[in-house]
Amino acid sequence: MKTVSIDIGSTWTKGALFEVGDRDLQLIKRTVFPTTVQHLADGFYQVLNALLDDTHAIDRVRSGEITLNYSSSAKGGLAVAALGLVPSITLESARVAAYSAGAKITQVFAYRMNRSDIRALEANPPDILLFAGGTDGGHFDTIRHNAALLASSALDCSIVYAGNRAVQDEVTDLLGDKDLVVVENVLPALDQQNPDPAREAMRTIFLSRIVKGKGLDEIIAATGSEPVPTPYAVYEFTRHIQEHVPGWDDFILLDMGGATTDVYSSHDQCPPPGAVQRGLPEPLIKRTVEGDLGMRVSAEAVSETGDTLIAEHLAHDPAQIAAFHDYVAKVTAEPDYLPQDGQGKHFDTLLAGACAAYACERHAGRSTQVYTLDGTVDVLTGRDLTGVKKVIGSGGWLANSPDFDVSAWISERKVDGKGKTVLLPATVEYYRDAQYLFPLLANVARNYPEAAALTGVALLAQS
Amino acid sequence: MQETIVIGVIGSDCHAVGNKILENVFARAGFNVINLGVMVSQDEYIDAAIETNARAILVSSIYGHGEIDCIGMRDRCTERGLDGIPLFVGGNLVIGKREFKDVEVIFKGMGFDRVFGPDVDLQHVVDCLHQDIAVYNREHLAVEAAA
Repeated sequence: MKTVSIDIGSTWTKGALFEVGDRDLQLIKRTVFPTTVQHLADGFYQVLNALLDDTHAIDRVRSGEITLNYSSSAKGGLAVAALGLVPSITLESARVAAYSAGAKITQVFAYRMNRSDIRALEANPPDILLFAGGTDGGHFDTIRHNAALLASSALDCSIVYAGNRAVQDEVTDLLGDKDLVVVENVLPALDQQNPDPAREAMRTIFLSRIVKGKGLDEIIAATGSEPVPTPYAVYEFTRHIQEHVPGWDDFILLDMGGATTDVYSSHDQCPPPGAVQRGLPEPLIKRTVEGDLGMRVSAEAVSETGDTLIAEHLAHDPAQIAAFHDYVAKVTAEPDYLPQDGQGKHFDTLLAGACAAYACERHAGRSTQVYTLDGTVDVLTGRDLTGVKKVIGSGGWLANSPDFDVSAWISERKVDGKGKTVLLPATVEYYRDAQYLFPLLANVARNYPEAAALTGVALLAQS
Repeated sequence: MQETIVIGVIGSDCHAVGNKILENVFARAGFNVINLGVMVSQDEYIDAAIETNARAILVSSIYGHGEIDCIGMRDRCTERGLDGIPLFVGGNLVIGKREFKDVEVIFKGMGFDRVFGPDVDLQHVVDCLHQDIAVYNREHLAVEAAA
């Protein structure tokens, strides 16, 4: 059996053909074409035909001879605006759910919305508004207020209501004229996160409505196969690795691109003895994405966020700092630019290091030591990744950089800007997705989870 | 109707046993108890009370630093939209030998509606909860209806 995987990225449409074995996959062929932004199907068919060496490769997919899975992050991916009540509670639960659905979060709102919030949404409409707030049987007047305000707005995106169940009917009545889907609460009780129903609703909306706007519906009609957002596929792939690959219960996956850095982690949280965990419970698999950390489109933002860190690395030769900023301006203007000399390569390493350091810091939890009458107690919030031993690096730059020292960069952010300890590991084993196959294997995993997970890990290069 | 209350041990206090007993007693008395456990900050009580639409917050403190941990809590509730929510505090609230009535004055001055010593009969606390929540609901619902 042969299977094809295609990932339609914002710049490149990548594809691979695999032979499926019992518990592994053999890479037969891979190819890449520029993404045809005007009409995504064109680039898709170019890749498919090239992989199967056939001008009508689609027929072999339709006949069932070849299985096909594909993902897309083209045309801005899946844009979600999140609305919650308390920022650290239901807004945070909404974020967790949106990230797990493979979304990027374009705007966030908490408490009562006002007219300028509505105008901000209307001016920059997301694909989906994820509307949370209140535990089941909990707070409701703010939810009503926000629903009424949204009802009177011109916003016409899909709305997923995943808030207090007690006012579901009222919300349905108020927002009945909108494109509304009502699902279970993302936080039915304070100690119980429930992202999956909202996540499934967002995936379904992506499929039924959003793919059309992005021109993917033609591919669905032709192939009978449905796409998922690329990060959704990679999130599921992270779960498959945790389930199927021995020794891979705890790991971090770093996917660094030109515009964003995604961090995925698999970790079963259990606070160490003597520590107190505060805040919401942590999911087994978690994704965060940083829209301001990336190697090219976001290089300017990286140089601002990481200015101290980068300056320290250039302290031996301050003249280099100005050269670095020139380089950042150049790669921002020319996102395809590849460094031609040692200096450019060094600057890329600094950008990648800052992306890795800050993206992991934002993904991880915090610890503070509190002095009590019974001695010191560590108070933990968020994800405790100190015991994680393995980090996978994926994305174009990381795939091609065997010398990148991820441990050293992560260690640069042992303490955050508020003096709290960042809960990241001190040293890790670093595994590189040297063939940059993870997004493609993630698609194959939809049909062959175990084979794809085992192959993905087996192909990693350790350095 | 089952009323929701938020309980927890404030500050850097990690005494968990009494907290479990309170959870048990209040749950048996018919409340929906949101127990935040130990080492709870003022904002955590308030965040939880907002999301769950709680009708009272009960702050416990055993280690003697209750006074400093509780300063400003009423104002913080008001600022964050929980105007008039019943606020109870109890436990071993201060260090040293001070008369309970003096301690009560300090905490009532900070805006706590009820102050309890370490030896209070918990049935009395339950009675006070019913009483104060009834008043709060009446006033709160009147305000809501007016709005």
